Amino acid sequence: MFGFFRLDPITRKRLRRFRGIKRGWYALLILLTATVLSLFANFIANSRAIAVYYEGRLYFPTFVYYDMATFGQEDDWGFDDSEADYRRMREEFAGTGNWVLMPPIPFDPYENDFTYADPPPNPPDSRHLLGTDSQGRDVLARLIYGFRISIFFALSLTLVSQIIGTIIGCLQGYLAATFDILSQRFIEIWSSLPFLYVVILIGTLVTPSFGLLLFVMSLFAWIGITYYMRTETYREKAREYCLAARSMGASPFRIVFKHILPNALTPLVTLTPFQIVAAIFALTALDYLGYGLPAPTPSWGEMIDQALQPANRGYLWLSLSPFAAITITLTLVTLIGESVREAFDPKPYARYR
Amino acid sequence: MSTSAPASDLLLESRDLTKHYPVRGGFFSRQAAVVRAVDGLSFEVRRGETIALVGESGCGKSTLGRVLVRLEDPTSGLLRFGGVNTTALSRREIFALRRKIQMIFQDPYSSLNPRMTIGEIVREPLEIHRMGRRSEQEQRVEGLLAEVGLSGEMMSRYPHEFSGGQRQRIGIARALALDPELIVADEPLSALDVSVQAQVINLLVRLQREHNLTYVLISHDLMVVEYLSDRVAIMYLGKIVETGTREDVFERTAHPYTRALIASSPVPDPAQRGEARPIEGEIPSPINPPAGCAFHPRCPFAIDECRMAVPPLEPVGKKSSPEHFAACIRKHEI
Repeated sequence: MFGFFRLDPITRKRLRRFRGIKRGWYALLILLTATVLSLFANFIANSRAIAVYYEGRLYFPTFVYYDMATFGQEDDWGFDDSEADYRRMREEFAGTGNWVLMPPIPFDPYENDFTYADPPPNPPDSRHLLGTDSQGRDVLARLIYGFRISIFFALSLTLVSQIIGTIIGCLQGYLAATFDILSQRFIEIWSSLPFLYVVILIGTLVTPSFGLLLFVMSLFAWIGITYYMRTETYREKAREYCLAARSMGASPFRIVFKHILPNALTPLVTLTPFQIVAAIFALTALDYLGYGLPAPTPSWGEMIDQALQPANRGYLWLSLSPFAAITITLTLVTLIGESVREAFDPKPYARYR
Repeated sequence: MSTSAPASDLLLESRDLTKHYPVRGGFFSRQAAVVRAVDGLSFEVRRGETIALVGESGCGKSTLGRVLVRLEDPTSGLLRFGGVNTTALSRREIFALRRKIQMIFQDPYSSLNPRMTIGEIVREPLEIHRMGRRSEQEQRVEGLLAEVGLSGEMMSRYPHEFSGGQRQRIGIARALALDPELIVADEPLSALDVSVQAQVINLLVRLQREHNLTYVLISHDLMVVEYLSDRVAIMYLGKIVETGTREDVFERTAHPYTRALIASSPVPDPAQRGEARPIEGEIPSPINPPAGCAFHPRCPFAIDECRMAVPPLEPVGKKSSPEHFAACIRKHEI
């Protein structure tokens, strides 16, 4: 039934062509690796150890709370009921046969490190590779978690808006007539709503969360997709193979899913990377303005906002890292997008370099 | 037209069939005009024959074809298929009717979905009408492909791997899949090379014989029409202007438009060059057809009376067969 999940020769040829465009292919590999790695961010940047071997028993504290007593620790005041301090263990366990495996970055993104003599932000050193921010939090850890939030927010937003946009665009193109005219007028009115004000309004009523932001931005992001899907559907519907299917008695459902959609997906695929760019950018902008995800959440927009505060002038590491991260990520996605577009171009000799 | 055939022979019968398209000025404005694509057609198709609908582009012959396979619903008029009026059927009855009427399309490059294999394309009608199990359907597809001269190995290939003629044969196999009684072929040859046309023509003739098929052939190619058809209907601006047996229309031509069509058809004989006198001007707009005989502005024989009233389709008589009708007031003088 859903023939478009199988790779037909047209798609296969395009994928081959995409692999031939090296910059896009490698950008995709890098970004995919980074995305998959970011899923395991808790094992990369965390104040909790990945594994602890203590007194003949193995502990995996990444997602489990253990207090100091478990590992025979005490804090400076002699109590042992707060959370274990895994960073101290390497020294404590030396020569005992116990061991601890820490993540490469042994700080979590919420943790305030006040061990320096100077007040934060502290510049990069061997303890914090990219320094700490104004609240003593590890910048690299926040960058990594910020990447995870940005990329998955962008992917979810793209997916949701493409599903809604495709359904509505296909309906417009397929049903045409009154539905098309009325929905098109509605879209014109809807798209003239200023998106930022709506977000600000909602932000004043409730605390934005990942899900709420996704919902609000989806309300607007599907519109662009309908334009493409609508015209594609109009075009494919009039092709003779669709007429043939209709004259045989195929149901509208079958015509849309088997005949129109597989042939109309090209603009969707081509648009996807650029939508991801736009979504990352939008989330960063919202966070920068303070209408995005709530305060302690590690986010690139919040990091830029912090770096640009007058009080933080001169702390270059604060601004360089989020800017570099955004630039690299968006460049990678754009490289992918541009290569996909070139690979899917029906005119194989067109070059826009 | 009077019914000259016994009722059992009659497969398709149309009475005053019309298809009008409304033209609107804007969304809220009222209907501004109508395009009379098919304007009061009456004709009969007999079981086992080939009837050709001929006319230049824009005369409504393709619209008629689409009405016959019910891609479009007629605006008014009667369309009987096997004695049943198809204009008053429920959706389910129309679905059942679609098995008996199939279409062959003009452009073999766009009539096959580029993302489906040949096997899927030919099997689709069987799947839609739930004919048999999957293995049975696949066997049938293999048989159908063999009938149009393609091997079963080609089932897993995609349309772009085939030539125009092969694609058209795949389209024919698809049309045959449901064992139809009537096949509407909309310019089935015009997108093909001349050498390939001959193959497809022979295939169509053979299939008609073997499956007792009835063809409605929509074409503007008079050579093909003369070769393939038993009866011919000439259309001009949504109306039939002349109809009769092939001999009637080609040898005892009665309507000036038919004459002009025949004269402008290319003849592969250099000796006859230059004799043809093409029709002047273009086909008028079907939104606002000329008063009286629609052909009068382009007709070399037009007189004042031609502007007055639409000439009725009347028997030509004389040496012609009783089926020969023409809509021209001067048909006996020409």
